[in-house]
Amino acid sequence: MEIGIDVGGTFTDAVLLEDGYVRAVAKVPTGEDPLEPMLAALDTVLAGVPPERVGRVVLSTTLITNLIAHRKYDPVALVLIPGPGLPFDHYRINPATYIVSGAMDYRGREIEPLNEDEVRAAARDIAARGYRQVAVVGKFSPRNAAHELRAAAILKETVPELHVELGHLVTSQLNFPRRILTAFLTCATRQRYATFARAVAEGLRRRGLTARAFVLKADGGTLPLEAAARYPVETVFSGPAASTLGVQALLPPGETAVVLDAGGTTTDLALILSGTPLVASRGLKVEDQFTQVRGLAVKSVPVGGDSVLERIGRELVVYSDRVDRPYCLGGSRPTPTDALRVLGHTEIGDPGRAYEAMALLATDSQSPEEVAGEVLLMVTEIIAGEIEAMFREWQEEPAYRVWEVLQRRTRKRPNLLVGVGGAAGLAPLVAQHLGARALVPPYAAVANAIGAAVARTTLMISLHVDTARGRYVVAEEGYQGELEDPRHFGEHSAVQLATAWLRKRAAALGAGDEVDGVEILRQDVFNIVREWRTVGRLFDLVVQTPRGILTHVKGVNS
Amino acid sequence: MRPTGIIFFPAFDWAISPTHPEREERLLYTRDQIFEEGLLDLPGIKEFSPRLATFLDVARVHFCVPHVRDQVRDAHLIAAGACLVLADCIMSGEVRNAFALVRPPGHHAMRVVHGNRGFCNINNEAITIEYLRRRYGVGRIAVVDSDVHHGDGTQDIFYHDPDVLCISFHQDGRTLYPGTGFTNELGGPGAYLRTINIPLPPGTTDAGLHYVLDNLVLPILRDFEPELIINSAGQDNHYTDPLANMCVTARGYADLTAKLRPHLAVLEGGYAIESALPYVNMAILLALAGYDYSHVREPGYRPGMLRESPEVAAQIRRVVEELRELWENRHRVDPEAIFGKDRFYERQKFVYYDTDDIREFQLERVRRCPDCPGYLTVASSARHPGGRHYHICGISIPVRACEECYGEGYATFEAARRTGDYTHVYLQDKATDVFRAYDTETRELLDWEG
Ligand SMILES: [Zn+2]
Ligand SMILES: [Zn+2]
Repeated sequence: MEIGIDVGGTFTDAVLLEDGYVRAVAKVPTGEDPLEPMLAALDTVLAGVPPERVGRVVLSTTLITNLIAHRKYDPVALVLIPGPGLPFDHYRINPATYIVSGAMDYRGREIEPLNEDEVRAAARDIAARGYRQVAVVGKFSPRNAAHELRAAAILKETVPELHVELGHLVTSQLNFPRRILTAFLTCATRQRYATFARAVAEGLRRRGLTARAFVLKADGGTLPLEAAARYPVETVFSGPAASTLGVQALLPPGETAVVLDAGGTTTDLALILSGTPLVASRGLKVEDQFTQVRGLAVKSVPVGGDSVLERIGRELVVYSDRVDRPYCLGGSRPTPTDALRVLGHTEIGDPGRAYEAMALLATDSQSPEEVAGEVLLMVTEIIAGEIEAMFREWQEEPAYRVWEVLQRRTRKRPNLLVGVGGAAGLAPLVAQHLGARALVPPYAAVANAIGAAVARTTLMISLHVDTARGRYVVAEEGYQGELEDPRHFGEHSAVQLATAWLRKRAAALGAGDEVDGVEILRQDVFNIVREWRTVGRLFDLVVQTPRGILTHVKGVNS
Repeated sequence: MRPTGIIFFPAFDWAISPTHPEREERLLYTRDQIFEEGLLDLPGIKEFSPRLATFLDVARVHFCVPHVRDQVRDAHLIAAGACLVLADCIMSGEVRNAFALVRPPGHHAMRVVHGNRGFCNINNEAITIEYLRRRYGVGRIAVVDSDVHHGDGTQDIFYHDPDVLCISFHQDGRTLYPGTGFTNELGGPGAYLRTINIPLPPGTTDAGLHYVLDNLVLPILRDFEPELIINSAGQDNHYTDPLANMCVTARGYADLTAKLRPHLAVLEGGYAIESALPYVNMAILLALAGYDYSHVREPGYRPGMLRESPEVAAQIRRVVEELRELWENRHRVDPEAIFGKDRFYERQKFVYYDTDDIREFQLERVRRCPDCPGYLTVASSARHPGGRHYHICGISIPVRACEECYGEGYATFEAARRTGDYTHVYLQDKATDVFRAYDTETRELLDWEG
């Protein structure tokens, strides 16, 4: 049996799956504390189930998203090694930013040695100012982490109680400013995440659960709950990922669809293409800043079932930043949910109050039904416009190879729209607007929890090999090694090497048995030519555990 | 402030041949640098995605022998298409300027295309210019070619076009491919002094380059008052370039960009793919977007290490002096004294295609018309690598052709079709955007209309 729990902004949902069948569901309001509703929902679905029969618990939580949004994190000092390039002002994102001399190039060759005295001076100042968390980030550190490692060693030598996070271990992709921010956020949230993870583990233990616990990441993969303390930022925006995986599980394998997850405050849009959710081509934007966190390509529209509506003059206005309980559920302001109720697109709430809510918005001789129609047309147009924009972005994703440009031209827009979440009733209206087919599957209200329950562990390894220099780097592990036989190192050797490191990584994170195959995500080979002669090759390889879900939900005819 | 648009298209799966300088790896380190610096995330820089230019876009500029599809690969269409996307963004006002950081390059591709020369098949800038005129009715355009090699393709295409000013500065043709671009190449009778060539001695530094810019290029541009400036942004003037002998730095290129303020910069050559391109490309992009580029520095560069010899500096001053005098006296020129009084102006050309080892003989004839730039006829013969000989004739009618030239152009096309002297006859009617290609052997007539 598997349990999936999604702690959302308004509700916490849970499901219990057994052999692909949904055996129990729970929905409880989310309060201030992130732990309590999670345990309450867990208890509901566990009722009458022998705890030892549960093999797996997957949790999707807004904990880190909220910590970052409210800046409730630990103070962090940054030690940066940028070298030449942009002016340093671009990197001072924090009151305690120390810039030290030293530089690497794109092939990991040292351009300028690390200035160790500057690192020591920074360490003393950091200690004097009372910082305990430090992130050390160097430009091109994924290609050669020597400066980051040396700086960390000096920091620890000078001030032993510092906790030091290294940029190249946080993200392997090239993008120095994003690496700085991602390392910063990792540093800032790791302790709070670890505390939370321990509390969850304790809660599970007290219920007699021996299941393995995982946390859901933004890319729809899971990590073992406690191992994720090394990558807490990866758990941001796991909610939309959970819903998308839920839809994937509720549809037959291989289906292509737009996912519309209409919640109280936002409507999240995502794409499932031939059975696989689309991953964003770049790292996620968190609180308007670019990170290197890999996530599904989700578009969040700040309009949901609880958005406040108002009539100003003749204009009907929907607020993206003001929410209230729907009038039909006892709230004080009219919302789109009230409009859905009036026109029979949802069964929740008191119909009488829904009519009242629409009457509050009526102009002249408008009937409540007419007002509801006007409201839903406006909301539908907003969402349909965003879906169009999402299609365009997908069709215009960056393409750096001829075949990618040609392939992109063949991309066809999906014509199935699947609605889940509290205001799933919007889906048929939006679909009609787009000329697509709509589907609101059974269990639509808890698709997010289903998604969590069926998510699998995803791990990735980026291998960069430079045979001319006889070296290779496994960025995620911070490993830099020498090639045994650079002259005979070919593509096959590269795949083997990357696969071995992927297995090793899975074992180290306590998820060795979760890896039952390898998918090659990127495989680039370049000749290094000097004066018309090939002197070596560069291999850029990214491999990952196969994406996919544990099971499709049975007993739903979609 | 509106952002700078960029299309980065490194064509990681395209090469002329595996060890050719124009190969997959060329922009690899540039990618690493631009990505690692996070330049595409800067609010002042916006990335766009390329599209494929159409055969029509190509036919508007080139007579491809025998057909567009025989000379053009998808990679070429994407590089040209990237420039067109950016041209649209510039014209719509979505961006303030743009950088087509794309390959393959194009500035050695001439009007007639028998194959690849100087690593180029089709001319990205020329295709953009004709597109801008057709789609948006742009009038005067200036091309400033800062590649170390003479921009002979662009010059050839616009040699008789008074609305396109082509300025190229480059390492002296006596010391470098393609061996042209001397001060006496100044444009045809209808477009005299719309071509300016500034040959520079080997060893020219940032100082020399900026002397040319300040004292010649910028004053000429001020006088010409173009609506748009396109920069053929080759980077092989760099002091580490393996194919040339100049001493320009990334900083020198960025300062050039900042002074020139091109609307569109298009990457051309530059084959120091590790020591120059990552830094020069970054510096140009920052300069276009108005960011501080003063901290961009090549590894190993020390201020003062590149000094221009007094002889080099003196030579540069002489060239600038000579051209400046010509330019300042441009209104006093008597074309008849230079070109005679014949109804047609003719020139013969021999063109060598280094990549494909093709030798082309050309006779170009342009009508000297008082009312318009005059229609042009080009007869060209070459033996292609497959062994087949082509004798083609192309007729080009300018955008603002007068009625007489328009009619005569069509009549010439029909006459050339009937003679049987040519294997293929082409018509390029830029006035109404009609293009035809006629195969004498199969009697097939291809027809495109814009
Ligand atoms: Zn060149
Ligand atoms: Zn005329």
